[in-house]
Amino acid sequence: TKWAGSLPKYPHTNLALQNFDATHKLQLEEAWPSVRASMLCEQKYGALVNNFTNVEGAMAQLQFQGCRDFVSWTVSEAAREILQPAASSHNNPSSLESVVVDQGIVPASLSQNIKCLVFPRGDISRFKPSRPDENGLLGYYLMDAASILPALALDVQEGHSVLDLCAAPGGKALALLQTQAIRFLCVNDVSVGRTLRLRRVLASYIPKDLLTEDKLRVTSFDGRKWGEMERDTFDRVLVDVPCTTDRHSLMEEENNIFSRARTKERQRLPQLQLELLMAGIQAVRPRGVVVYSTCALSQMQNWYVVERAIHLAQEELGISLQVADLRPLTQLFKETFNFAPDPYLGQLVLPHLTANFGPIYMCKLKRIN
Amino acid sequence: RLYCSIQNQTSTQHTTQQHLQMGRELSVQALLDMGFTDTQADQMLERANKDGAGQSEHATSTLMVLFVLGLNPSTVLKVLEKCPELFCVKGTHLEQRIDNLRRLGLLEGSLQRVVSHYPQILTLPYKRLNTVARFLKEKCAFTVQQVTDIFRDSPAVAHCDLGQLEYKFQYAYFRMGVKQSEIVKSKLFRVPLDEIRCRHCFLERRGLYQTPDKKGQTLIVNPQLNDFLAVPEETYLTEVAIATQEEFEVFQKLMEREWLEQDDGQERGMES
Ligand SMILES: C[S@@+](CC[C@H](N)C(=O)[O-])C[C@H]1O[C@@H](n2cnc3c(N)ncnc32)[C@H](O)[C@@H]1O
Repeated sequence: TKWAGSLPKYPHTNLALQNFDATHKLQLEEAWPSVRASMLCEQKYGALVNNFTNVEGAMAQLQFQGCRDFVSWTVSEAAREILQPAASSHNNPSSLESVVVDQGIVPASLSQNIKCLVFPRGDISRFKPSRPDENGLLGYYLMDAASILPALALDVQEGHSVLDLCAAPGGKALALLQTQAIRFLCVNDVSVGRTLRLRRVLASYIPKDLLTEDKLRVTSFDGRKWGEMERDTFDRVLVDVPCTTDRHSLMEEENNIFSRARTKERQRLPQLQLELLMAGIQAVRPRGVVVYSTCALSQMQNWYVVERAIHLAQEELGISLQVADLRPLTQLFKETFNFAPDPYLGQLVLPHLTANFGPIYMCKLKRIN
Repeated sequence: RLYCSIQNQTSTQHTTQQHLQMGRELSVQALLDMGFTDTQADQMLERANKDGAGQSEHATSTLMVLFVLGLNPSTVLKVLEKCPELFCVKGTHLEQRIDNLRRLGLLEGSLQRVVSHYPQILTLPYKRLNTVARFLKEKCAFTVQQVTDIFRDSPAVAHCDLGQLEYKFQYAYFRMGVKQSEIVKSKLFRVPLDEIRCRHCFLERRGLYQTPDKKGQTLIVNPQLNDFLAVPEETYLTEVAIATQEEFEVFQKLMEREWLEQDDGQERGMES
């Protein structure tokens, strides 16, 4: 009719909305209306800059349009505030960076070299699609800027081996590769079709000589089996699980997880997520780090899964885990993202009209033994 | 008829009549005699001479008709400042139009208020007004009394494009599920369509407004149209939407773009 398009009027998106109204309202209380309206409006993107192309060119072009790298911008802002009196002696950025880390302004445990440009708060401008350079590589990858956070939190260091257990279509894997610190990256996704897409994404951003078998492995296994296949191996494991993809479920009718046909699958998500996280915990080496993330708001898929995994790991595998404090990270990026106040375990980015990123949940676990 | 009504006026108006008979052009003296103060007379002449309207052969008769309607000099001045076009409308036409407003149900008091708030209504041929009235009755199923109320509260509807009027009505009636009586009560036609849609959609997306189903039922209690349309934005935000100014500002920008693209039927292909 004349009035279409203003609200999800199709059955599946409507089912999703009804479900969220019932569950998220209880969980988020007075914050729910604001989150709800944000998820029903156009989301904001971030441009993950590809360090393997002409970085300055891409950055200049994007900055000209009014956006800025929220990672380095926040870091230098924070530094400027604290270092005001000494500012003159730290003019060049590299020394600024080292001071920043030395003084603990920036949590040292952040993956380096990841640049993601966003338009400022309240600015609704859109990015133009990236065009290939002379080598056919694209200058930036458009994704929910909050999706960068789990990759940043993973704290990749020089020489690390990293497993991305559920990697397709590859946004976070791309972010991890930008660090140029990884010795070996294994990207996996159970879906063969999506793994193909992942391969295409990698090929459009990463030079061929970095995609050789000794540096990168692309697989299509059921991630839940990883614990049986490869234990105590990786320095870092990212477990970015399948979830109710809340924003997507409100906007896209097709292939919607809230369709009746997928009810069972949806109900089994927390169990699947738990098993994937357990596999990740087993795949990481002692003293290694696992980051668990979703793009859902539901507690059942977020801290509840983490809590059970910590418990199960201890009880059944004898693995002790420590929950890392992500507050330094949220403190640093609070201008760019709207974080949920006082989450119980992990951190949650709540969509907000002035900063319409997320939802993204993440929790960082350190394996003790 | 004109003569009769003049008989009922005060002595000021008798003098007025004399001056009208003497000359057609406005002069300070004539205006003073009509009861304007010095400053008012100056302002009036200035206004009238700005675009030559004062030279109109109808200028004095316009003033007279307004006096006859019962407006005082300062109101007449305001009316003509708002709408100098009236200087150029033939007196008999003005009378006809005023009579027509009476026929549409505007009683003394309301009639004067409408003319002083929205004198532009007198620039329209009476047939046009009747077309709008018929449209409201036939296309939007308002009662005769409701049509009167609409003209009284939102006289600017007279100038609206009927297509846009219909769109606004249908938006309220079908999309928001509001009945005619509430539409009238909320003075909906005073509010620009974009503002209606913005305030409504914002509430809807926040989960605070639902379009009633076929039986007229909703799962939540909708706020009254009256409470969120006819109030200042600040009240709307703090008391109904419970949101910040910044959020609403961004929302309006997003809506504008959504509607634009909807109208264009544009498809956007952003990779996710
Ligand atoms: C949220 S998406 C990952 C997004 C990706 N990390 C990125 O940043 O682009 C979740 C992925 O998990 C995959 N998946 C679902 N079940 C899986 C399983 N049992 N093992 C491995 N991957 C699985 C899905 O195919 C889907 O691509």
